[in-house]
Amino acid sequence: MAAAAGIVLAGGRSSRMGTPKATLEWHGSTLLRRVTGIVARATGGPIVVVRAPGQDLPAMAKGVEVTEDAKEGRGPLQGLAAGLAAVDGRAEIAFVSSTDAPLLHPAFVRRVVGALDGEHDVALPQAGGFPHPLAAAYRTELLPSVQQLIAADRMRPAFLFETCRVQRLDEAALLADPAVAAYDPALDSVLNLNEPPDYEAARARPAPEVAVRCYGAVRRESGAGRSPVVVNAATLAGAAAAVDLELDEHVVAALNGDQITRDPDEPLAAGDTVAFLAADAGG
Amino acid sequence: MPDVPGGYFGRALIVDVTDGSAEELPLDKQTLRRYVGGVGLGTYLMHRLAPCGVDALAPEAPLAFVFSPLVGTPLTTSAKFAVVAKSPLTERLNDALASSHFAIAGKLSGNDALVVRGARDTPSVVLVDGDGARVQDAADLWGLPAAEAEARLRERLGPAWRVASIGPAGERLVRYATVSHDGRHAGRGGLGAVLGSKRIKAVAVRAATKCPTAHPQRVLAAARDLRQRSFGPATAKYRELGTLANLLAFNAISTLPTRNFQAATFAGAPQLAAEDLAEARSVARNSCASCSIGCEHIYATKGGGQARVEYENVFALGPLCGVSDPDAVLSASERCDALGLDTISAGGTIAWAMECAERGLIDAPWLRFGDGDALLRALDEIGARTGLGDLLAEGSRRASAEVGGEASSLATHVKGLELPGYEPRTLQAMAVGMAVNARGADHNRSGAYEADLAGGHDRLAGGEAQAAAAIVTEDRAAVMDSLILCKFLRGVFADPFPEWAALLGAVTGWDVDGAELRRTAVRIVLAKRLFNLREGWTRDEDWLPDRFLAETLELESGRSATLTPERLRGMIDAYYEGRGLDDDGLPDTDQLEALGLHVLAP
Repeated sequence: MAAAAGIVLAGGRSSRMGTPKATLEWHGSTLLRRVTGIVARATGGPIVVVRAPGQDLPAMAKGVEVTEDAKEGRGPLQGLAAGLAAVDGRAEIAFVSSTDAPLLHPAFVRRVVGALDGEHDVALPQAGGFPHPLAAAYRTELLPSVQQLIAADRMRPAFLFETCRVQRLDEAALLADPAVAAYDPALDSVLNLNEPPDYEAARARPAPEVAVRCYGAVRRESGAGRSPVVVNAATLAGAAAAVDLELDEHVVAALNGDQITRDPDEPLAAGDTVAFLAADAGG
Repeated sequence: MPDVPGGYFGRALIVDVTDGSAEELPLDKQTLRRYVGGVGLGTYLMHRLAPCGVDALAPEAPLAFVFSPLVGTPLTTSAKFAVVAKSPLTERLNDALASSHFAIAGKLSGNDALVVRGARDTPSVVLVDGDGARVQDAADLWGLPAAEAEARLRERLGPAWRVASIGPAGERLVRYATVSHDGRHAGRGGLGAVLGSKRIKAVAVRAATKCPTAHPQRVLAAARDLRQRSFGPATAKYRELGTLANLLAFNAISTLPTRNFQAATFAGAPQLAAEDLAEARSVARNSCASCSIGCEHIYATKGGGQARVEYENVFALGPLCGVSDPDAVLSASERCDALGLDTISAGGTIAWAMECAERGLIDAPWLRFGDGDALLRALDEIGARTGLGDLLAEGSRRASAEVGGEASSLATHVKGLELPGYEPRTLQAMAVGMAVNARGADHNRSGAYEADLAGGHDRLAGGEAQAAAAIVTEDRAAVMDSLILCKFLRGVFADPFPEWAALLGAVTGWDVDGAELRRTAVRIVLAKRLFNLREGWTRDEDWLPDRFLAETLELESGRSATLTPERLRGMIDAYYEGRGLDDDGLPDTDQLEALGLHVLAP
């Protein structure tokens, strides 16, 4: 069983935004592709997107699962129930995110998931004076409690928090994590986009600052030298373009020395290190 | 000329060096088609000619130089030969490849393979040409580095002769001594010691005939096409910096084995990086005969010498021993060349000894990680079998058994063969590939790291996908090593098996397709397994050293790389299932019969 799963709720009506938020573009990828990628990287377990019945979704990474709300438009508890049911038996904890969080940082996700100890059922960030139930970690065994609330038509997350043990994480607690303090000092991870001006403001922000290194023949092909190059890029394709590198079949990338990827839409976050290598690495 | 397919002579020449006699072993069309050449045909020959349970260093143990149907054609990278014997290091089947003119001259002596068996009382050389085989005294060559022996012998015999020789390490039966030709080594598994046990310093060959292909125009057209493709981006890495380009990249992704696999990153890696060393040290770039890639990067060494630089020798003599001084590492590499030592096993055994010395398990206070002088002293002692070197010349498995206690758990080998420069905890398809491979821990017979580094699966996880990747890459290697084509060419083949079948068909005239070559791959892989089985293999040998299953690596990303015994067991079971083997790793009768292997089964 994985330590943590990720659940991304994409089934909201986006009525104030006027267009489905999952498909909104941010620095080269859709919000849904970005959020699922960030959550996947930070949790390591199964990733489930909860959509409205029949809802069209933009392209996502291989391995992301999709499930549907039983009914459309009943709010986040309905999505939470569908997501928890989808990961039931495969993870003890699930990080739950909305899809409209372009600045969600993996360090924030890790901090929240890591805060959920054996004494609590929910790790709930409190930032900007508000709780953020759609940037929180839930014990997956809460599924029956959530289903009971839905059956009783008690559809607000606050009702769930009345019935379980909640670890509230204030700003100081969140920023006590050095990585969060370094890469998300304003706790922008909890920023949601509800209306068009919110989206425009988010788009006006620069893409995350990341360091790019190239190795071997790839270094010669690109504009990179021996030292890392700091660029603004929200995706792998953006990072490659920033060093004049064609991201073709002969190149792969490693994020922070970890997973190897060649997906141009792989999301990047502030502080990431991207290493571009020859695809035929090895002897 | 008997009825033989294009690209073949239909015979192996068996030379008994005890009395200098030679006999021909006919190789029928069915055998050639089933085993192709190189490693595949060599495996068949070992089944036929090696007495069951033979001591690898006994006179009766045969050693085969095996050519292939593609040798001598204009197909790029085809001038390669396999050296195949029972390994004195692993006591299992061992094959090692080398390249260049020896392959062409050896085949055009009129033989698909040359087999040496027996033993001399005095140092000798074997000569093979159109007049057959003879054995000559070579006392004056004994003790010389392989390159020098090769040069002297060619000076004596004439430039048309091509020579494969052993160095002093082979003469002294170091269990990881190499067979060398033109500076390249059939490196792994101690085949140089097998020749040394026969007191054969060198085998010299001279071309005497031609070997027609079935469809010369098709071969020529394919050669032109392949040559053109070999100039493309899939081989850029090998042309531009060579395999040493791996070092800094592997360091960046925590897969650079360091200090006897205690870590997977090395602070001194930048000092050994090809990106920088090439600018300061590169003096030449060479190619094997018939090769259009040109992967050999020659660097200047301290004192005016030169060394061929590859990732594996720099990894093994550098980070694995904690040495970051490029002068020391390049000198150590040059020393291994002169002595005729496999750099991977030499570095792996010395790194084990360094850790043992630091932990007080062996009495060698001079031997410490990071000490380049100690590294060079250890190599010299191994080559001479003096001092601690006599123990280290046995390889890490035997040496650790001799030392006893905790020392065995620090020895990083599979089946006795020391690990190459791929960290199994961060490359978990490679982990299962190394565990199950017939040759032992090896990257050339099981290149599953390709799958780990392609991004198709989580390289820190292990499951059915990783086991499947190990099978795919093992099968590809079995065919490439039997055709033989250089693996540095592998990236130019979009659909390898059908493309390889087309090349083989053009040379031989066979109506062979990709599906047949896939079956051939399985046959060769299982034939190796059958040979090991008859030599005493048990399922316990398909495993990894304790260190990888007990110690976790922490990555820069914050994730941990852990490989548990349960996960490894699961991947090995998945490999067995994917191969059609039973729970004990054994093939069933139906499978053997379908592949024509039942006649080889013990």
